[in-house]
Amino acid sequence: MASAGAAQTARIPLTGADCFLRAFDAEIGRLNGASHLSQLVLRLGPGFDAARLRALVREAAEAQPILRAPIRRALGFGAPAYDLRAAASRPPPAVDVHESGAAPAGDEAFPALFAERLNERVSLRRGELLRFDAVRYDGGAATDLAMTWAHLLFDGSGSERFIQWLDACWRGEQRVDVLPSPEELETADTPSRPAGERGKAARAWQAWLESMAAHPMRSLAGPLRRTPQALRWNVLTLDEADTERAVATAGRLAGFLTPMLFYLAVAIRAHHAVARARGVDPGSYVVPLPVNTRPRGAAGAIFRTHVSLLWFQVFPDQVDDLDTLIGTLKSQRLAAIKAGHIENGADAMSFARFAPTRIYTHMARRSFGGELCSFFFAYTGEFLGRMDRCFGADLRNGFHVAPVPPSPGSCAAMSLRNGRLNVTHVVQHGVFSEADEALFRESLRADLARGV
Amino acid sequence: MSEWSRQALGERIFQILRDEILGVEGNFSPQSNLVDAGLDSLAVTQLMLSIEESTGIWVDESLLTPEHLESAETLADLVHAQLQGG
Repeated sequence: MASAGAAQTARIPLTGADCFLRAFDAEIGRLNGASHLSQLVLRLGPGFDAARLRALVREAAEAQPILRAPIRRALGFGAPAYDLRAAASRPPPAVDVHESGAAPAGDEAFPALFAERLNERVSLRRGELLRFDAVRYDGGAATDLAMTWAHLLFDGSGSERFIQWLDACWRGEQRVDVLPSPEELETADTPSRPAGERGKAARAWQAWLESMAAHPMRSLAGPLRRTPQALRWNVLTLDEADTERAVATAGRLAGFLTPMLFYLAVAIRAHHAVARARGVDPGSYVVPLPVNTRPRGAAGAIFRTHVSLLWFQVFPDQVDDLDTLIGTLKSQRLAAIKAGHIENGADAMSFARFAPTRIYTHMARRSFGGELCSFFFAYTGEFLGRMDRCFGADLRNGFHVAPVPPSPGSCAAMSLRNGRLNVTHVVQHGVFSEADEALFRESLRADLARGV
Repeated sequence: MSEWSRQALGERIFQILRDEILGVEGNFSPQSNLVDAGLDSLAVTQLMLSIEESTGIWVDESLLTPEHLESAETLADLVHAQLQGG
Protein backbone atom coordinates (compact mmCIF):
# COMPACT_ATOMS: atom_id res chain seq x y z
CA MET A 1 0.00 0.00 0.00
CA ALA A 2 1.15 3.48 -0.73
CA SER A 3 -0.26 6.91 -1.17
CA ALA A 4 -2.44 7.15 -4.24
CA GLY A 5 -0.99 10.34 -5.57
CA ALA A 6 -4.18 10.82 -7.53
CA ALA A 7 -4.86 14.20 -6.03
CA GLN A 8 -1.58 15.52 -7.44
CA THR A 9 -2.37 14.33 -10.98
CA ALA A 10 -4.59 16.58 -13.05
CA ARG A 11 -5.65 14.02 -15.64
CA ILE A 12 -5.67 10.21 -15.64
CA PRO A 13 -5.90 8.78 -19.15
CA LEU A 14 -8.27 5.90 -19.77
CA THR A 15 -6.80 2.55 -20.75
CA GLY A 16 -7.71 1.00 -24.10
CA ALA A 17 -10.09 -1.38 -22.32
CA ASP A 18 -11.69 1.60 -20.52
CA CYS A 19 -12.29 3.24 -23.90
CA PHE A 20 -13.70 0.02 -25.30
CA LEU A 21 -16.27 -0.02 -22.48
CA ARG A 22 -16.91 3.70 -22.94
CA ALA A 23 -17.92 2.87 -26.52
CA PHE A 24 -20.70 0.68 -25.13
CA ASP A 25 -21.90 3.51 -22.96
CA ALA A 26 -22.16 5.73 -26.03
CA GLU A 27 -23.94 2.95 -27.91
CA ILE A 28 -26.57 2.31 -25.23
CA GLY A 29 -27.08 6.04 -24.79
CA ARG A 30 -27.62 6.52 -28.52
CA LEU A 31 -29.83 3.50 -29.16
CA ASN A 32 -31.61 2.92 -25.89
CA GLY A 33 -31.44 6.10 -23.82
CA ALA A 34 -29.57 4.46 -20.95
CA SER A 35 -25.98 3.82 -19.85
CA HIS A 36 -23.55 0.92 -19.68
CA LEU A 37 -23.83 0.42 -15.93
CA SER A 38 -22.66 -2.52 -13.90
CA GLN A 39 -23.78 -3.51 -10.43
CA LEU A 40 -23.03 -5.71 -7.47
CA VAL A 41 -25.52 -6.63 -4.79
CA LEU A 42 -24.70 -7.33 -1.15
CA ARG A 43 -27.31 -9.06 0.97
CA LEU A 44 -26.58 -7.88 4.52
CA GLY A 45 -27.82 -8.83 7.98
CA PRO A 46 -28.59 -6.36 10.79
CA GLY A 47 -26.08 -3.70 11.78
CA PHE A 48 -25.65 -1.80 8.50
CA ASP A 49 -25.42 1.97 9.04
CA ALA A 50 -26.25 3.87 5.84
CA ALA A 51 -25.39 7.28 7.29
CA ARG A 52 -21.92 6.04 8.13
CA LEU A 53 -21.46 4.64 4.63
CA ARG A 54 -22.60 7.96 3.15
CA ALA A 55 -20.04 9.85 5.22
CA LEU A 56 -17.34 7.34 4.29
CA VAL A 57 -18.10 7.56 0.57
CA ARG A 58 -18.03 11.36 0.75
CA GLU A 59 -14.67 11.22 2.50
CA ALA A 60 -13.36 8.68 -0.03
CA ALA A 61 -14.47 10.83 -2.96
CA GLU A 62 -12.65 13.83 -1.51
CA ALA A 63 -9.47 11.78 -1.11
CA GLN A 64 -9.91 9.95 -4.44
CA PRO A 65 -11.41 12.50 -6.84
CA ILE A 66 -11.53 9.95 -9.66
CA LEU A 67 -14.75 8.68 -8.04
CA ARG A 68 -16.58 11.73 -9.41
CA ALA A 69 -14.21 12.97 -12.10
CA PRO A 70 -15.64 13.98 -15.49
CA ILE A 71 -14.26 11.93 -18.41
CA ARG A 72 -13.31 14.12 -21.36
CA ARG A 73 -10.91 14.37 -24.23
CA ALA A 74 -8.52 17.30 -23.79
CA LEU A 75 -9.55 20.03 -26.24
CA GLY A 76 -11.87 17.49 -27.83
CA PHE A 77 -9.17 15.17 -29.14
CA GLY A 78 -6.42 12.90 -27.81
CA ALA A 79 -7.04 10.10 -25.34
CA PRO A 80 -10.00 10.59 -23.01
CA ALA A 81 -9.06 11.08 -19.38
CA TYR A 82 -10.50 11.54 -15.92
CA ASP A 83 -10.33 15.28 -15.21
CA LEU A 84 -9.45 15.36 -11.53
CA ARG A 85 -9.40 19.15 -11.25
CA ALA A 86 -13.02 19.33 -12.32
CA ALA A 87 -14.01 16.65 -9.80
CA ALA A 88 -14.05 19.05 -6.86
CA SER A 89 -17.15 20.78 -8.20
CA ARG A 90 -19.05 17.53 -8.64
CA PRO A 91 -21.25 16.03 -5.90
CA PRO A 92 -19.98 12.88 -4.16
CA PRO A 93 -21.43 9.51 -5.15
CA ALA A 94 -24.95 9.13 -3.77
CA VAL A 95 -25.81 6.72 -0.95
CA ASP A 96 -29.61 6.52 -0.90
CA VAL A 97 -31.72 4.59 1.58
CA HIS A 98 -35.10 3.13 0.69
CA GLU A 99 -37.21 1.80 3.56
CA SER A 100 -39.22 -1.32 2.96
CA GLY A 101 -41.43 -3.66 4.97
CA ALA A 102 -40.68 -7.32 5.38
CA ALA A 103 -37.76 -8.78 3.46
CA PRO A 104 -38.79 -10.54 0.27
CA ALA A 105 -39.36 -14.24 0.65
CA GLY A 106 -36.69 -16.58 -0.65
CA ASP A 107 -33.04 -16.20 -1.58
CA GLU A 108 -33.79 -15.09 -5.11
CA ALA A 109 -36.19 -12.16 -4.59
CA PHE A 110 -34.68 -8.69 -4.89
CA PRO A 111 -36.05 -5.16 -5.00
CA ALA A 112 -37.10 -3.88 -8.41
CA LEU A 113 -35.29 -0.64 -7.64
CA PHE A 114 -31.94 -2.27 -8.36
CA ALA A 115 -32.99 -3.15 -11.90
CA GLU A 116 -34.33 0.38 -12.37
CA ARG A 117 -30.91 1.76 -11.47
CA LEU A 118 -29.40 -0.21 -14.34
CA ASN A 119 -31.79 1.47 -16.73
CA GLU A 120 -30.70 4.98 -15.83
CA ARG A 121 -28.66 7.25 -17.99
CA VAL A 122 -25.61 8.84 -16.41
CA SER A 123 -23.17 11.35 -17.82
CA LEU A 124 -19.54 10.28 -17.85
CA ARG A 125 -18.76 13.83 -18.95
CA ARG A 126 -20.18 15.09 -15.68
CA GLY A 127 -18.44 12.49 -13.54
CA GLU A 128 -21.55 10.46 -12.70
CA LEU A 129 -19.72 7.22 -12.10
CA LEU A 130 -20.90 5.55 -8.92
CA ARG A 131 -23.87 5.28 -6.54
CA PHE A 132 -25.18 3.10 -3.71
CA ASP A 133 -28.78 2.13 -2.99
CA ALA A 134 -29.70 0.44 0.27
CA VAL A 135 -33.11 -1.15 0.72
CA ARG A 136 -33.74 -1.64 4.47
CA TYR A 137 -36.26 -4.23 5.56
CA ASP A 138 -38.11 -4.20 8.88
CA GLY A 139 -36.30 -1.11 10.13
CA GLY A 140 -32.86 -2.57 9.46
CA ALA A 141 -33.28 -6.25 10.32
CA ALA A 142 -31.80 -6.89 6.88
CA THR A 143 -30.53 -4.75 4.02
CA ASP A 144 -29.94 -5.29 0.33
CA LEU A 145 -27.20 -2.95 -0.83
CA ALA A 146 -26.49 -2.32 -4.51
CA MET A 147 -23.41 -0.56 -5.82
CA THR A 148 -24.03 0.66 -9.38
CA TRP A 149 -21.19 2.09 -11.45
CA ALA A 150 -20.20 3.15 -14.93
CA HIS A 151 -18.68 -0.08 -16.18
CA LEU A 152 -15.31 1.36 -17.06
CA LEU A 153 -14.65 2.47 -13.47
CA PHE A 154 -14.07 -1.12 -12.32
CA ASP A 155 -14.13 -4.58 -13.82
CA GLY A 156 -15.80 -7.31 -11.76
CA SER A 157 -12.81 -8.16 -9.60
CA GLY A 158 -11.90 -4.49 -9.28
CA SER A 159 -15.35 -3.71 -7.93
CA GLU A 160 -14.95 -6.42 -5.28
CA ARG A 161 -11.55 -5.02 -4.38
CA PHE A 162 -13.06 -1.56 -4.03
CA ILE A 163 -15.68 -2.93 -1.63
CA GLN A 164 -12.94 -4.67 0.37
CA TRP A 165 -10.96 -1.44 0.54
CA LEU A 166 -14.00 0.60 1.54
CA ASP A 167 -14.87 -1.95 4.23
CA ALA A 168 -11.29 -1.84 5.51
CA CYS A 169 -11.64 1.95 5.75
CA TRP A 170 -14.95 1.43 7.59
CA ARG A 171 -13.16 -0.77 10.14
CA GLY A 172 -10.30 1.69 10.50
CA GLU A 173 -7.75 -0.70 9.00
CA GLN A 174 -7.20 1.44 5.92
CA ARG A 175 -7.20 5.18 5.18
CA VAL A 176 -9.30 6.69 2.45
CA ASP A 177 -6.27 8.51 1.05
CA VAL A 178 -4.34 5.28 0.59
CA LEU A 179 -5.23 2.94 -2.26
CA PRO A 180 -3.79 -0.46 -3.07
CA SER A 181 -1.62 -0.46 -6.21
CA PRO A 182 -1.72 3.29 -6.82
CA GLU A 183 0.73 2.89 -9.70
CA GLU A 184 -2.20 1.71 -11.77
CA LEU A 185 -3.67 5.15 -11.47
CA GLU A 186 -0.57 6.94 -12.54
CA THR A 187 0.29 5.02 -15.68
CA ALA A 188 -1.63 4.77 -18.91
CA ASP A 189 -1.37 1.70 -21.11
CA THR A 190 2.23 0.77 -21.59
CA PRO A 191 2.46 -0.59 -25.13
CA SER A 192 4.22 -3.94 -25.13
CA ARG A 193 5.32 -3.60 -28.76
CA PRO A 194 5.83 -0.88 -31.40
CA ALA A 195 2.82 0.75 -33.07
CA GLY A 196 3.37 -1.07 -36.36
CA GLU A 197 3.29 -4.46 -34.69
CA ARG A 198 0.27 -3.47 -32.65
CA GLY A 199 -1.48 -2.48 -35.85
CA LYS A 200 -0.80 -5.91 -37.32
CA ALA A 201 -2.00 -7.57 -34.11
CA ALA A 202 -5.19 -5.52 -34.09
CA ARG A 203 -5.87 -6.45 -37.71
CA ALA A 204 -5.29 -10.13 -36.89
CA TRP A 205 -7.85 -9.87 -34.09
CA GLN A 206 -10.32 -8.17 -36.40
CA ALA A 207 -9.78 -10.84 -39.07
CA TRP A 208 -10.43 -13.50 -36.46
CA LEU A 209 -13.79 -11.91 -35.66
CA GLU A 210 -14.64 -11.57 -39.32
CA SER A 211 -13.93 -15.26 -39.85
CA MET A 212 -16.69 -15.96 -37.33
CA ALA A 213 -19.00 -13.48 -38.99
CA ALA A 214 -18.80 -15.59 -42.14
CA HIS A 215 -21.32 -17.86 -40.44
CA PRO A 216 -24.71 -16.37 -39.58
CA MET A 217 -25.49 -15.68 -35.94
CA ARG A 218 -28.68 -14.44 -34.35
CA SER A 219 -29.22 -13.58 -30.70
CA LEU A 220 -32.53 -14.10 -28.92
CA ALA A 221 -33.05 -10.33 -28.93
CA GLY A 222 -32.72 -10.11 -32.69
CA PRO A 223 -30.47 -7.57 -34.34
CA LEU A 224 -30.06 -3.98 -33.21
CA ARG A 225 -33.08 -3.11 -31.06
CA ARG A 226 -33.67 0.62 -30.80
CA THR A 227 -35.97 0.40 -27.81
CA PRO A 228 -35.77 2.23 -24.48
CA GLN A 229 -33.63 0.12 -22.17
CA ALA A 230 -35.64 -1.95 -19.72
CA LEU A 231 -33.32 -4.47 -18.13
CA ARG A 232 -34.49 -6.93 -15.54
CA TRP A 233 -32.59 -9.66 -13.82
CA ASN A 234 -33.26 -12.97 -12.10
CA VAL A 235 -31.00 -14.86 -9.74
CA LEU A 236 -30.71 -18.62 -9.59
CA THR A 237 -29.00 -19.73 -6.38
CA LEU A 238 -28.00 -23.38 -6.13
CA ASP A 239 -27.96 -24.99 -2.70
CA GLU A 240 -24.70 -26.29 -1.28
CA ALA A 241 -25.13 -29.87 -2.52
CA ASP A 242 -25.91 -28.82 -6.10
CA THR A 243 -23.09 -26.28 -6.01
CA GLU A 244 -20.68 -28.96 -4.87
CA ARG A 245 -21.75 -31.09 -7.83
CA ALA A 246 -21.38 -28.15 -10.23
CA VAL A 247 -17.89 -27.30 -8.98
CA ALA A 248 -16.81 -30.95 -9.17
CA THR A 249 -18.19 -31.29 -12.70
CA ALA A 250 -16.49 -28.07 -13.78
CA GLY A 251 -13.17 -29.35 -12.44
CA ARG A 252 -13.51 -32.78 -14.03
CA LEU A 253 -14.69 -31.63 -17.46
CA ALA A 254 -13.02 -28.24 -17.89
CA GLY A 255 -10.23 -28.10 -15.32
CA PHE A 256 -9.70 -26.94 -11.76
CA LEU A 257 -8.22 -23.60 -12.88
CA THR A 258 -10.32 -23.25 -16.04
CA PRO A 259 -13.87 -24.02 -14.81
CA MET A 260 -15.35 -21.08 -16.73
CA LEU A 261 -15.54 -23.20 -19.87
CA PHE A 262 -17.98 -25.55 -18.13
CA TYR A 263 -20.12 -22.63 -16.99
CA LEU A 264 -19.95 -21.05 -20.45
CA ALA A 265 -21.07 -24.33 -22.00
CA VAL A 266 -23.99 -24.50 -19.58
CA ALA A 267 -24.99 -20.94 -20.51
CA ILE A 268 -24.81 -21.73 -24.24
CA ARG A 269 -27.05 -24.76 -23.76
CA ALA A 270 -29.58 -22.75 -21.73
CA HIS A 271 -29.85 -20.17 -24.53
CA HIS A 272 -30.08 -22.96 -27.07
CA ALA A 273 -32.92 -24.59 -25.14
CA VAL A 274 -34.92 -21.37 -25.52
CA ALA A 275 -34.04 -20.97 -29.20
CA ARG A 276 -35.05 -24.57 -29.90
CA ALA A 277 -38.34 -24.19 -28.03
CA ARG A 278 -39.10 -21.12 -30.13
CA GLY A 279 -38.14 -22.88 -33.34
CA VAL A 280 -35.47 -20.25 -33.96
CA ASP A 281 -32.29 -21.13 -35.84
CA PRO A 282 -29.44 -19.31 -34.02
CA GLY A 283 -27.04 -20.05 -36.89
CA SER A 284 -24.15 -20.28 -34.48
CA TYR A 285 -23.33 -19.10 -30.98
CA VAL A 286 -20.65 -16.43 -30.82
CA VAL A 287 -19.70 -15.48 -27.26
CA PRO A 288 -16.83 -13.35 -25.89
CA LEU A 289 -15.04 -14.31 -22.69
CA PRO A 290 -13.28 -11.46 -20.87
CA VAL A 291 -9.67 -12.20 -19.93
CA ASN A 292 -7.74 -10.11 -17.44
CA THR A 293 -4.53 -8.69 -18.82
CA ARG A 294 -3.25 -7.20 -15.58
CA PRO A 295 0.29 -8.12 -14.60
CA ARG A 296 0.36 -11.63 -13.15
CA GLY A 297 -0.33 -11.62 -9.45
CA ALA A 298 -1.91 -8.15 -9.47
CA ALA A 299 -5.21 -8.07 -7.66
CA GLY A 300 -8.33 -6.51 -9.15
CA ALA A 301 -7.62 -3.07 -10.46
CA ILE A 302 -9.42 -0.14 -8.96
CA PHE A 303 -10.41 2.60 -11.40
CA ARG A 304 -8.75 0.91 -14.38
CA THR A 305 -9.83 -1.97 -16.56
CA HIS A 306 -7.24 -4.23 -18.15
CA VAL A 307 -9.02 -6.84 -20.20
CA SER A 308 -8.96 -8.55 -23.54
CA LEU A 309 -11.59 -10.80 -25.08
CA LEU A 310 -11.40 -14.39 -26.28
CA TRP A 311 -14.15 -15.27 -28.74
CA PHE A 312 -15.83 -18.63 -29.14
CA GLN A 313 -18.06 -19.88 -31.92
CA VAL A 314 -20.00 -23.13 -31.77
CA PHE A 315 -22.74 -24.56 -33.96
CA PRO A 316 -26.02 -26.15 -32.89
CA ASP A 317 -24.80 -29.68 -33.58
CA GLN A 318 -21.95 -29.09 -31.11
CA VAL A 319 -24.30 -27.95 -28.37
CA ASP A 320 -26.45 -31.02 -27.84
CA ASP A 321 -23.83 -32.97 -25.90
CA LEU A 322 -22.27 -31.12 -22.95
CA ASP A 323 -18.98 -33.03 -23.04
CA THR A 324 -18.58 -32.40 -26.77
CA LEU A 325 -19.35 -28.73 -26.28
CA ILE A 326 -16.77 -28.32 -23.52
CA GLY A 327 -14.20 -30.13 -25.65
CA THR A 328 -14.91 -27.73 -28.50
CA LEU A 329 -14.58 -24.68 -26.25
CA LYS A 330 -11.33 -26.00 -24.78
CA SER A 331 -9.76 -26.52 -28.20
CA GLN A 332 -10.90 -23.07 -29.38
CA ARG A 333 -9.47 -21.42 -26.28
CA LEU A 334 -6.16 -23.20 -26.72
CA ALA A 335 -5.95 -22.27 -30.39
CA ALA A 336 -6.73 -18.63 -29.61
CA ILE A 337 -4.08 -18.46 -26.88
CA LYS A 338 -1.53 -20.08 -29.20
CA ALA A 339 -2.40 -17.55 -31.91
CA GLY A 340 -1.77 -14.69 -29.48
CA HIS A 341 -5.33 -13.38 -29.61
CA ILE A 342 -5.33 -12.25 -25.98
CA GLU A 343 -2.43 -9.92 -26.71
CA ASN A 344 -3.92 -9.04 -30.11
CA GLY A 345 -7.20 -8.07 -28.48
CA ALA A 346 -5.44 -5.89 -25.94
CA ASP A 347 -3.55 -4.18 -28.76
CA ALA A 348 -6.78 -3.69 -30.71
CA MET A 349 -8.33 -2.04 -27.67
CA SER A 350 -5.30 0.20 -27.19
CA PHE A 351 -6.25 1.93 -30.45
CA ALA A 352 -9.66 2.69 -28.98
CA ARG A 353 -8.02 5.47 -26.96
CA PHE A 354 -7.57 7.54 -30.11
CA ALA A 355 -10.50 6.29 -32.16
CA PRO A 356 -14.02 7.72 -32.30
CA THR A 357 -16.04 6.33 -29.42
CA ARG A 358 -18.48 4.36 -31.52
CA ILE A 359 -16.02 2.66 -33.80
CA TYR A 360 -15.75 -0.69 -32.04
CA THR A 361 -19.42 -1.38 -31.60
CA HIS A 362 -19.99 -0.15 -35.14
CA MET A 363 -17.36 -2.54 -36.53
CA ALA A 364 -18.76 -5.48 -34.59
CA ARG A 365 -22.36 -4.82 -35.60
CA ARG A 366 -21.37 -4.30 -39.22
CA SER A 367 -19.59 -7.67 -39.22
CA PHE A 368 -22.32 -9.56 -37.43
CA GLY A 369 -25.35 -8.21 -39.25
CA GLY A 370 -26.38 -5.86 -36.47
CA GLU A 371 -25.56 -8.22 -33.59
CA LEU A 372 -22.73 -7.85 -31.09
CA CYS A 373 -22.68 -11.50 -30.06
CA SER A 374 -25.13 -14.27 -29.08
CA PHE A 375 -25.11 -13.32 -25.40
CA PHE A 376 -22.71 -12.04 -22.76
CA PHE A 377 -21.17 -14.30 -20.17
CA ALA A 378 -19.01 -13.88 -17.08
CA TYR A 379 -17.73 -16.26 -14.44
CA THR A 380 -15.90 -14.44 -11.66
CA GLY A 381 -15.15 -17.23 -9.17
CA GLU A 382 -15.56 -16.61 -5.47
CA PHE A 383 -17.46 -13.39 -4.76
CA LEU A 384 -15.78 -11.41 -1.96
CA GLY A 385 -14.08 -14.55 -0.69
CA ARG A 386 -12.89 -14.45 2.92
CA MET A 387 -15.33 -11.65 3.76
CA ASP A 388 -17.94 -12.71 6.30
CA ARG A 389 -18.93 -9.20 7.25
CA CYS A 390 -19.19 -5.96 5.33
CA PHE A 391 -20.01 -2.42 6.51
CA GLY A 392 -20.77 -3.66 10.03
CA ALA A 393 -23.21 -6.43 9.02
CA ASP A 394 -23.07 -10.11 8.16
CA LEU A 395 -22.59 -10.62 4.43
CA ARG A 396 -25.21 -13.29 3.72
CA ASN A 397 -24.94 -13.39 -0.05
CA GLY A 398 -23.71 -11.30 -2.95
CA PHE A 399 -23.23 -11.38 -6.72
CA HIS A 400 -22.60 -9.34 -9.83
CA VAL A 401 -25.21 -7.93 -12.20
CA ALA A 402 -23.66 -7.37 -15.60
CA PRO A 403 -24.64 -4.78 -18.20
CA VAL A 404 -26.10 -6.00 -21.48
CA PRO A 405 -26.94 -3.89 -24.52
CA PRO A 406 -29.60 -5.03 -26.99
CA SER A 407 -28.83 -7.02 -28.92
CA PRO A 408 -27.80 -9.59 -27.69
CA GLY A 409 -30.08 -8.60 -24.80
CA SER A 410 -29.09 -11.46 -22.51
CA CYS A 411 -26.21 -12.09 -20.11
CA ALA A 412 -25.45 -14.87 -17.66
CA ALA A 413 -23.10 -13.86 -14.83
CA MET A 414 -22.00 -16.58 -12.42
CA SER A 415 -20.08 -16.52 -9.14
CA LEU A 416 -19.68 -18.50 -5.94
CA ARG A 417 -20.48 -17.26 -2.46
CA ASN A 418 -20.20 -19.34 0.74
CA GLY A 419 -20.47 -22.63 -1.10
CA ARG A 420 -23.43 -21.59 -3.25
CA LEU A 421 -23.42 -20.75 -6.95
CA ASN A 422 -25.33 -17.65 -8.00
CA VAL A 423 -26.35 -17.21 -11.61
CA THR A 424 -27.62 -13.74 -12.46
CA HIS A 425 -29.53 -13.69 -15.71
CA VAL A 426 -29.76 -10.12 -16.99
CA VAL A 427 -32.18 -9.66 -19.85
CA GLN A 428 -33.79 -6.88 -21.82
CA HIS A 429 -37.52 -6.64 -21.23
CA GLY A 430 -39.41 -8.51 -23.92
CA VAL A 431 -36.55 -10.75 -24.94
CA PHE A 432 -37.50 -13.64 -22.62
CA SER A 433 -41.10 -14.57 -21.86
CA GLU A 434 -41.89 -16.15 -18.49
CA ALA A 435 -41.93 -19.55 -20.19
CA ASP A 436 -38.54 -18.80 -21.79
CA GLU A 437 -37.11 -17.81 -18.43
CA ALA A 438 -38.45 -20.96 -16.77
CA LEU A 439 -36.94 -23.11 -19.50
CA PHE A 440 -33.66 -21.23 -19.26
CA ARG A 441 -33.45 -21.84 -15.51
CA GLU A 442 -34.45 -25.46 -15.89
CA SER A 443 -31.68 -26.04 -18.43
CA LEU A 444 -29.11 -24.26 -16.26
CA ARG A 445 -30.07 -26.19 -13.17
CA ALA A 446 -30.08 -29.55 -14.95
CA ASP A 447 -26.59 -29.06 -16.39
CA LEU A 448 -25.05 -27.49 -13.31
CA ALA A 449 -26.31 -30.13 -10.90
CA ARG A 450 -26.03 -33.15 -13.16
CA GLY A 451 -22.83 -34.45 -11.57
CA VAL A 452 -20.15 -36.54 -13.22
CA MET B 1 9.74 -44.47 -23.47
CA SER B 2 10.38 -40.83 -22.77
CA GLU B 3 13.90 -39.45 -22.76
CA TRP B 4 12.98 -37.35 -19.73
CA SER B 5 14.07 -38.58 -16.32
CA ARG B 6 11.82 -37.59 -13.45
CA GLN B 7 14.54 -35.36 -12.04
CA ALA B 8 15.25 -33.57 -15.32
CA LEU B 9 11.55 -33.07 -15.88
CA GLY B 10 11.09 -31.59 -12.41
CA GLU B 11 13.96 -29.18 -13.00
CA ARG B 12 12.57 -28.13 -16.39
CA ILE B 13 9.05 -27.53 -15.05
CA PHE B 14 10.41 -25.54 -12.15
CA GLN B 15 12.48 -23.45 -14.58
CA ILE B 16 9.47 -22.79 -16.84
CA LEU B 17 7.34 -21.75 -13.89
CA ARG B 18 9.95 -19.52 -12.34
CA ASP B 19 11.30 -17.85 -15.48
CA GLU B 20 8.48 -17.90 -18.05
CA ILE B 21 5.12 -18.28 -16.39
CA LEU B 22 5.15 -16.78 -12.92
CA GLY B 23 8.18 -14.54 -13.16
CA VAL B 24 8.89 -15.15 -9.49
CA GLU B 25 12.14 -15.20 -7.63
CA GLY B 26 13.37 -15.29 -4.06
CA ASN B 27 11.21 -17.62 -2.02
CA PHE B 28 9.79 -19.65 -4.90
CA SER B 29 10.96 -23.25 -4.66
CA PRO B 30 10.05 -26.62 -6.22
CA GLN B 31 7.81 -27.14 -3.19
CA SER B 32 5.98 -23.77 -3.38
CA ASN B 33 2.22 -23.85 -3.92
CA LEU B 34 1.58 -22.86 -7.53
CA VAL B 35 -1.83 -21.25 -7.06
CA ASP B 36 -0.53 -19.17 -4.16
CA ALA B 37 2.38 -18.13 -6.39
CA GLY B 38 -0.05 -16.72 -8.98
CA LEU B 39 -0.90 -19.60 -11.29
CA ASP B 40 -4.28 -18.74 -12.79
CA SER B 41 -6.45 -19.91 -15.68
CA LEU B 42 -4.35 -18.27 -18.37
CA ALA B 43 -1.02 -19.13 -16.78
CA VAL B 44 -1.88 -22.80 -16.43
CA THR B 45 -2.63 -23.05 -20.14
CA GLN B 46 0.60 -21.26 -21.01
CA LEU B 47 2.40 -23.64 -18.67
CA MET B 48 0.93 -26.67 -20.41
CA LEU B 49 1.93 -25.21 -23.78
CA SER B 50 5.49 -24.72 -22.58
CA ILE B 51 5.61 -28.25 -21.20
CA GLU B 52 4.29 -29.55 -24.52
CA GLU B 53 6.98 -27.62 -26.34
CA SER B 54 9.67 -29.17 -24.14
CA THR B 55 8.40 -32.73 -23.86
CA GLY B 56 6.05 -33.19 -26.78
CA ILE B 57 3.19 -34.23 -24.53
CA TRP B 58 -0.02 -32.27 -23.98
CA VAL B 59 -1.53 -32.55 -20.52
CA ASP B 60 -5.16 -31.49 -20.64
CA GLU B 61 -6.16 -28.95 -17.98
CA SER B 62 -8.97 -31.21 -16.85
CA LEU B 63 -6.36 -33.66 -15.52
CA LEU B 64 -4.96 -30.99 -13.21
CA THR B 65 -6.38 -31.29 -9.71
CA PRO B 66 -5.48 -29.04 -6.78
CA GLU B 67 -3.20 -31.84 -5.60
CA HIS B 68 -1.26 -31.81 -8.90
CA LEU B 69 -0.82 -28.06 -8.62
CA GLU B 70 0.40 -28.24 -5.06
CA SER B 71 3.94 -27.61 -6.33
CA ALA B 72 6.30 -27.95 -9.29
CA GLU B 73 7.24 -31.33 -7.87
CA THR B 74 3.70 -32.72 -7.76
CA LEU B 75 3.05 -31.39 -11.25
CA ALA B 76 6.23 -33.07 -12.46
CA ASP B 77 4.95 -36.35 -11.00
CA LEU B 78 1.81 -36.06 -13.12
CA VAL B 79 3.61 -35.10 -16.31
CA HIS B 80 6.15 -37.86 -15.79
CA ALA B 81 3.37 -40.41 -15.36
CA GLN B 82 1.78 -39.16 -18.59
CA LEU B 83 5.10 -39.49 -20.38
CA GLN B 84 5.35 -43.04 -19.14
CA GLY B 85 1.98 -43.73 -20.67
CA GLY B 86 -0.01 -43.37 -17.47
